[in-house]
Amino acid sequence: MTTVTEVDPERFGHELDRFVARQGLSRRRFLGRGAATVLMAGGLAQVLAACGIDGTAARNLADLERQARRVNHPRTELGDWTFSNWPLYIDKSVIKDFNAKYGGHCKYVEEINDNNEFYGKVRQQLAAGVPIGRDIVTLTDYMASRWVRFGYVTPIDKRNVPNGRRLVRNLRSITYDPRRQFTLPWQSGAIGIGYDIKQTGGEVRSLRELFDPRWKGRVTLFSEPYDSAGSVLLMEGVDASRATLDQMLGAIERIGKANDDGQFRRFTGNDYTTDLTKGNIALALAYSGDLVQLQSDNPNMRFAYPEEGAMQFTDNMMMPAKVEHPYAAETMMNYVYEPAVAAKICAYVNYISPVEGIKEILERTDPEIASNELIFPPDDVRAKLHSYPSFTTREEQQMYEAMAQVTGA
Amino acid sequence: MSLQRRRKLIPWMFALPGLLWLLLFFAIPLINQAQVSLMSGDPEAGYTLTWAFDTYTNAISDYHEQFLRSFLYAGIATVVDLIIAFPLAYFMAYKAGRWRNLMLLLVVLPFFMSYVLRTVAWQLILADHGWVVERLRDVGLVSADGRVLATGTAVVAGISYNFLPFMVLPLYVALERIDRRFVEAATDLYASRATAFRKVTLPLAIPGIFAGSLLVFIPATGDYINAALLGTSKQYMIGNVVQSKFLTVLDYPTAAALSFILMTVILVGIAIYSRLLGTRTLTEAAV
Repeated sequence: MTTVTEVDPERFGHELDRFVARQGLSRRRFLGRGAATVLMAGGLAQVLAACGIDGTAARNLADLERQARRVNHPRTELGDWTFSNWPLYIDKSVIKDFNAKYGGHCKYVEEINDNNEFYGKVRQQLAAGVPIGRDIVTLTDYMASRWVRFGYVTPIDKRNVPNGRRLVRNLRSITYDPRRQFTLPWQSGAIGIGYDIKQTGGEVRSLRELFDPRWKGRVTLFSEPYDSAGSVLLMEGVDASRATLDQMLGAIERIGKANDDGQFRRFTGNDYTTDLTKGNIALALAYSGDLVQLQSDNPNMRFAYPEEGAMQFTDNMMMPAKVEHPYAAETMMNYVYEPAVAAKICAYVNYISPVEGIKEILERTDPEIASNELIFPPDDVRAKLHSYPSFTTREEQQMYEAMAQVTGA
Repeated sequence: MSLQRRRKLIPWMFALPGLLWLLLFFAIPLINQAQVSLMSGDPEAGYTLTWAFDTYTNAISDYHEQFLRSFLYAGIATVVDLIIAFPLAYFMAYKAGRWRNLMLLLVVLPFFMSYVLRTVAWQLILADHGWVVERLRDVGLVSADGRVLATGTAVVAGISYNFLPFMVLPLYVALERIDRRFVEAATDLYASRATAFRKVTLPLAIPGIFAGSLLVFIPATGDYINAALLGTSKQYMIGNVVQSKFLTVLDYPTAAALSFILMTVILVGIAIYSRLLGTRTLTEAAV
């Protein structure tokens, strides 16, 4: 297959990257020089020879494990390095303090708005095995799991992250990274019921309320099946963290049926908060941290950890494959696990911190936060938090496809 | 090189940067996506070119509803924009006097804000218990327990609002270029003002109407922001499906096929439309 019509950008990118690598330039710098056109013309013939989008099955966990055993990131100057995170997910003074303390310059970019979108943005570079120009990315469990599965991560040199031992017990091991060799939790949150008590006229405790005809058309769910279908399974008494694909598909089907009956107003991402605060809906599947912030504006906003248990998501710091500043990234990971720093971040973002020993600090500095159950869930709630189930790429695709059918896309 | 040959080459040299640009960022990606649309596989094993034409038939049978909805919503929004924009452009061109520049600025002003933010603002404007919807309830346009947000009306309203300037500006340019002496001549020849408008102004404004409606209709058909923010799963347009296929489901072939189907339908539509309004008008409007 060597006709001119068969150009494949993935392969094209691959060839380009190989060329760039030979020249000792980073891809971005190379593109920045504007010489791209000339080269592309030159390399075109070579590129046209190939077609197809590479699968990811080729890379495997065993290879990563081998890397992890040998990992050694010696101490160096931090230099200019990049930390990608979600918007409003850190007290920016932490970055300033870090730069002042360790030197170098941390370029902190709030560019992750959606796990899948961000993956779409860097996918080709990761598949081609070139640096993505970011040293820490913060992604939610299921996406972190995909990156580990595909070998898109760099192992953490734990000697540079001694504070990692402060990671809370229930997160020290997770299905996709049992020994936390590649990921380190940033913040966690629970998926529960957010509601306006003025509209519901009373407390809401059970996930069943989401399906109660009383609230017909005044409920939103997440379009993310891990969150929505996972919660439905919990409602039905299934341990969602061990759910099979069939169970998830069944839950999605039941969501679809209720949607056909007009039970749900919309399927949302983070934007359910507008519907909730404007009174368009009475209750929503919601993220705990959002409600802490909404509550401060409107005391009628409530969050309930459902009595059946709640899904828990964790966003994880990871170094992408071929990371350029591993030592800087690890120094930062270590820094944000210092209790005083973690307390500062927690007080700002209002999610559940994965770092032990910060409640004591906040009791002194910010007692209101220290006593907030949404930020420090009581033990009986903590015991009922379930992490996401683990699926293969194929299963995940099936699940997303089923959910897309329900959400109309 | 002879002088004559060099002369012949010069225009090509001028066009070269543009041609290269088109080749690199339009032709190659387009060919590539055509190829992707004929691949089969899954994200784990990868996708290979198998000339799977059934992706197209499957895409049409699975998503014809979203296609039809896209054309319907975009069509209504185009008509709504035309109805709003024509009087506005007419006023700006002939009656606004010294306010003309200010009005032009006001038309363009929303563009200084992010598209998504502008649409989110409509979520607030059309909130169920907001001022607008309460007033609509008062006059009986919305039933007591009815809503505007999360309906097709909201999506069409959002699209109409977001693309309005694309209709106003070409219309304004077209109207402004009309030599008013033609209208004077018509009235001198005993045409009423309405007839003069119908027989002189309107036909001369057709390039603007043509350009404006294309500028609104084409991007509106592929839009997914308005449906995502102002609609529900029952209002999703083809853009929402393409986005979900590309980013979430990772089914690149179907996403590419959907894009090509959309493009083909639009191209055929434009061909027919330009036949109806005269082919020359498109290029005229562009000048």
